Amino acid sequence: MRHRDHQQSRHAPSGVLDVLLLALLGTVLGGAASLCALGFVAIVEWLNDVLLISPRSRMLFPDPTWLVVATITVPAAGGLAVGLMHRLIPEGRPHSPADVIAAVQTRRGRLPARAGLLSACSGLVSLGCGASVGQYGPLVHMGGTLGSLSARLLHAGRTDDNIAIAAGVSAVIATAFNAPLAGIVFAHEVVLRHYALRAFAPVAAASIVGYVLAEVVFERGALFSVAETGVPQAWEFGAFLVIGALGALVAGAYVHAILGVGRMAARMPLPPAVRPAIAGAALGLTALWVPDILGMGQETLRLATIDGAFGGAELALVLVLKLLATAVCIGMGFGGGVFSPALVVGTLFGALCGSLVGLVVGDQGASLAVYAVCGMVAVTAPVIGAPLTSLLIVFELTGNYVLTTAALASIALANPLGAQLFGRSLFDIQLRQRGLDLAAGRGRAMLEALHITPLVSRDCVELRPDTTVAEAVAIVSHAGHGEAYVVARNGRYRGTVTLACLEAVREDGGGARPVAALTDTDRPVLPEGASVWTAMAELQTFAGEAIAVVDDLESRAFRGVIYEAALTRAYLKQTEELRREEHGSG
Amino acid sequence: MAQDRHVWRDCCRLSALLMAAALVLGVVHAGENTADDTPRLRVLSWGGAYEAAQTQALFEPFTEATGIPVSVDAYAGGLQALREATHGDGPPWDVIDMTMSDARAACAQGLLQSLDAQLLDPAPDGTAPRQDFFEGAFTECAIAHTVFATVVAYDRTAFPGNRPTSIKHLFDIEGFPGPRALQRTPAANLEWALLSYNVPLEELYGLLSTERGLSLALRRLDSLGEAIHWWEGAEEPVQLLADGEVVMASGFNGRFFDAIVNQGAPIDILWDGQIQEFETWVIPNGADNPHLAREFIRFATRTDRLVEFARHLPYGPVRRSAAEQVTTHKPTGIDMRLHVPTHPLNAHRAVRKDETWYAQVHARINERFRDWLEGRGETNDGG
Repeated sequence: MRHRDHQQSRHAPSGVLDVLLLALLGTVLGGAASLCALGFVAIVEWLNDVLLISPRSRMLFPDPTWLVVATITVPAAGGLAVGLMHRLIPEGRPHSPADVIAAVQTRRGRLPARAGLLSACSGLVSLGCGASVGQYGPLVHMGGTLGSLSARLLHAGRTDDNIAIAAGVSAVIATAFNAPLAGIVFAHEVVLRHYALRAFAPVAAASIVGYVLAEVVFERGALFSVAETGVPQAWEFGAFLVIGALGALVAGAYVHAILGVGRMAARMPLPPAVRPAIAGAALGLTALWVPDILGMGQETLRLATIDGAFGGAELALVLVLKLLATAVCIGMGFGGGVFSPALVVGTLFGALCGSLVGLVVGDQGASLAVYAVCGMVAVTAPVIGAPLTSLLIVFELTGNYVLTTAALASIALANPLGAQLFGRSLFDIQLRQRGLDLAAGRGRAMLEALHITPLVSRDCVELRPDTTVAEAVAIVSHAGHGEAYVVARNGRYRGTVTLACLEAVREDGGGARPVAALTDTDRPVLPEGASVWTAMAELQTFAGEAIAVVDDLESRAFRGVIYEAALTRAYLKQTEELRREEHGSG
Repeated sequence: MAQDRHVWRDCCRLSALLMAAALVLGVVHAGENTADDTPRLRVLSWGGAYEAAQTQALFEPFTEATGIPVSVDAYAGGLQALREATHGDGPPWDVIDMTMSDARAACAQGLLQSLDAQLLDPAPDGTAPRQDFFEGAFTECAIAHTVFATVVAYDRTAFPGNRPTSIKHLFDIEGFPGPRALQRTPAANLEWALLSYNVPLEELYGLLSTERGLSLALRRLDSLGEAIHWWEGAEEPVQLLADGEVVMASGFNGRFFDAIVNQGAPIDILWDGQIQEFETWVIPNGADNPHLAREFIRFATRTDRLVEFARHLPYGPVRRSAAEQVTTHKPTGIDMRLHVPTHPLNAHRAVRKDETWYAQVHARINERFRDWLEGRGETNDGG
């Protein structure tokens, strides 16, 4: 208690200043992130025009033969460039929102600048060359990296680093969608995954700056707008619910297609740098037949909300092709996000449902656009694990309450079902595959991310296998320990002996025997790289002083021991940090 | 860094000096050239009421202010005359009033001098021309001065108790029954057809560039069925509407204005979805008095001149500062704000015609349109 009181009295006078400084950081950072996002989007648009990806530039291009050539070579060349770029990133892949989430959730913070820059460039080239990927993933990662960089410049602690990352992310979302509330909620819902008052001010400030820059200064148009919704009849809300449930299945198919292609690509006898080029060429070839799958699909998104723009079969065809195109592009290694293609897939799916409902029931009150938007949120929300953000995007972009309630009906089932079927989001699945399971909560994730290495102690008794029992008793009891660790001359760990066991053997007259014969070899050992979580799991079935730590389980070179008290201290420290970050108010 | 700035400043000074010298020489030269004659600004414009309005609002005040007389030739648009003159003895004009699309083509063919927006005057409140003029008003060789619009007009008496308020109503044959006169071209019709699906203005040409968007637009036109009455000459739609043969008609806003004001026809203009095009000033290559021409362009695009011009004809000033100040029609005193395309009351949902798009896709889109007309069983007698 005294410690706590002391802390409060120390924090109170500087608390206000601290909060104000954080808000200022959010404002400045929000401006920077927002300008970068606007620049990113502008460059992508420019590239799409120059490289004959956008429909307008394709229409303006006079030579049909060269257009065919460009349609295939541009994505292929872009893929090659991206593939080569990824070789410069240590992980060999572009970083994504999943990395941002991992950094924040494990409090490892510190998004690397170099990988961040390369990932942004990879996103730019991928999008610019017409790959079927999204722009929001690279933008979110860019915002997060800028946040982390600025926190590092200011020598901020881990909590403030996390807040800065969240602020950067909220600014780019607010900018990209012209939706400040969605920016704030996205940062909380997807990145921070808790709500702390301390984080709110900077995140909100960043979001507002992002919105003002996008809407007022640069007057960017909205991503989508729905002018006429009609008035849905009561039964149609039931249809929206069902669309939500089915949307979760589409989302599942989308996510698994991406992951599946990723697994297949890894088994291909091809250098990783060439894979995206092949995906690009395949995409270009298919686009000659169905151009709707090229690029982010802005036009397709719009057309899908118009009754009659697609026939029913066409809707299904473009939906399937867009889903596959995205899976191939991302799975084979293009940089870029999953949100924009999911928007297109979802909108097509919603429009398909709307047309089917119209065929079967007729007498719809809601326009096709309402069904399209329901499908859109039903697919996107489970993919990125952000139901509230998706809902707010609809609300802020359209300002339409009818549409928002319809979307709410779809989201209500989509996200919980999706979470049951495949996981909270694509990001969570990717992280689980990389060994970070966020499903069991942040506490476990952090313990899993925490290595035992700094907790390993050399304060223990080592014995050679040929040491006699009598010598061993003397050594161990003089050292004041109850256990000793038997280590061969080559450094290999053999097992543990307890003082009680040694004493008993000596009592029985075995004082001259070597300790090797008494060694308990069944004791658990931990490899050096093990996480605190694994160590604590071992502790549950372990009765003894400390667990031996070896370099790895094969060579078993002795590195020291880890005491139960050290693990408990680490656990308590981590719990306290989490408590402060998540419940601290300033 | 500081040294760079010095060098830069010196360069600026030097070039200013050179320019001043050139200007003096140019004026002297022009003076000498016309020593036996008086110096004179020669303009090529559209003749008729348009020329009369320009004379009152621009040419006479220019002569008053500078003492330089203005002589005007009339033409009917196109580049033929300019091309011939350029290849012959040089153009006998110093400045030409051209549509933006003609100006683009002429510029691409090297017939025009390049023009810099820096020669323009700021707005009365000091706003720089780049902020004051509408976006797209400056191209390499042309400076826009006014905006004319292709609009849908309707017979006020045709729909008792109801009036069209949205471009969607052009295609609402049940709510607003009756024949419609539309120009037998893809331009304007395609834009309006897509707008009727609630497509945002900025996505219009992107969507028209997709096969899906294009066929969607043509299908909307199809839905009008027998109600379409095609026109080709610009006077036709006004006449058809005035005679009561159609209930709605597309056409140029100036023509409808004339019918309303001078003939008292019961016509109203539906400004929603108006398609705006720029009228520009250009200086031909080889003009005798390019400095005088620039002087004139500066004068003629001043806010007060544009406001004055809009008191004669319903051409929208291309400057925001002028569009907001539009007052009344000089001869009749009617409120010109209702008739000027760029006034904020009317410009709410205006489409800026994508000249680049039309310049490039012209042939393909016309062919597509012809095929569609044939598919409807209509012969294309107008070419």
